[in-house]
Amino acid sequence: MDEVKLRCELGVLTRPDGSVLFSEGETTVVAGIYGPVESKINKTLVEKACVEAYFRPKSGLPGVKDRLNESMIRNVCEAVIAVALFPRTAVVVVVQEMQNNGQLISCALNATCLALLNSGIDMKCMYAAVTCFLDRSDSIVLIPPADEREIKGSFMFVFDSVEKTILASHTEGSFSIDQYKDALSLCREESTNIFNFFKKALTIK
Amino acid sequence: MSEQYKILHPVKYYRDYLAHNIRPDGREFDKYRPIVVNLGSISTADGSAIAKVGRTTVVCGIKAELCQPKAEAANEGFLIPNVELPPLCSSKFRPGPPTEQAQVATQLVADILKNSECLDLKSLCIFPDKLAWCLFADLICLDLDGSLIDACMIALMAALKSVRLPVIDYDPALDNKQANLEHRKPLNITNIPSSTTFAKFDDKIVMDPTVDEEDLSTALITIALRKNELCFVHKPGGASVTDEQLLKCIDESQKRAIVIEGIVETALRSLQ
Repeated sequence: MDEVKLRCELGVLTRPDGSVLFSEGETTVVAGIYGPVESKINKTLVEKACVEAYFRPKSGLPGVKDRLNESMIRNVCEAVIAVALFPRTAVVVVVQEMQNNGQLISCALNATCLALLNSGIDMKCMYAAVTCFLDRSDSIVLIPPADEREIKGSFMFVFDSVEKTILASHTEGSFSIDQYKDALSLCREESTNIFNFFKKALTIK
Repeated sequence: MSEQYKILHPVKYYRDYLAHNIRPDGREFDKYRPIVVNLGSISTADGSAIAKVGRTTVVCGIKAELCQPKAEAANEGFLIPNVELPPLCSSKFRPGPPTEQAQVATQLVADILKNSECLDLKSLCIFPDKLAWCLFADLICLDLDGSLIDACMIALMAALKSVRLPVIDYDPALDNKQANLEHRKPLNITNIPSSTTFAKFDDKIVMDPTVDEEDLSTALITIALRKNELCFVHKPGGASVTDEQLLKCIDESQKRAIVIEGIVETALRSLQ
């Protein structure tokens, strides 16, 4: 099985506390983290930091689909960042889509994990997002087929680094429960590669 | 006394109930609330339905308009859902632009419709590249008590099944449209997707949460099925779940999907 090519460059931007240019195959995003910073008065939480996520598409104004991506990024980051350590502050996560070849949400989530590690903010664990695709011949592959119409469904899972339990899941298309289980185990195996890539990326810098 | 306890220590209040394997409204963890569906409630719309899941109430109205298809999908019509959460349904919402929760709900409903392929958009096309039906499905929540997506999907599928579109005679050379309002045909709906919401609290998973349970939960899972195939498994972050818990949720939503399909079919027969 071919492996998805991962590339990243940490600290590409100067203003954010943590930033990364990350690509997963042909899908590329830039992510920036500001945190902990002053939060808006109406969003201030007394006992923990409030996580704000912003997702900007490659072109056009943000629409409802980007709101869904923002809600996924925010919920995953809220579960993973040690928010109780920074009350009455905000952690701002901004993701800019550069290129999309089908793995957009998982690429954005992996980029935010690397950016959080780059920013030095306290986290409970790392997380890795993996996408796999179901093609017309009913086989589950990691690399998307070149023709979009070949894709019958796609599965995205996020695993945490400690126990490899499922932090998030998102699917497209329809499929049987067995195909879902197969995709889950394939993605879980691939997540080990992603965690190794994160560790290498941090030590090289 | 218990009302004050619930307001002062909501987490402990809920935890005490869960320790006895029961929820504050008396349900067990895997029991869902009663579902009520009514079709044809809005006479001015081309199709409509009201669905109630427990106390969560969603009204769906479908209006059909004629439009030109998009250039990249010249033989497809449009089905555009829009979920509104007005200030009436909950104290969390104020008048103004759609909140993030409403936009996310709209996207989730649109995703489930696309994934399940319940309505073939090609059947909405009258003449390729010139004329097609555009169905605007407006889902308005009147009362928000948890499981919003479940109620939206039931109302939407029931309303779609009740739509009767007039037959259009179109002459492409003259660009002349004639609508025959007496002769109406139903849509071709191939399956009825239904969704089930689960909430995770500590290490327990409850089915069909109320809004209080959703606010206290550490994670929410939405699973949509059509017939026996999964078409949407959505867990937007939050606390992690084990594989067994996720597969158990899929199992339970399969059983509920059969019940929901039966309810929508029964409601349809009452319309005819």
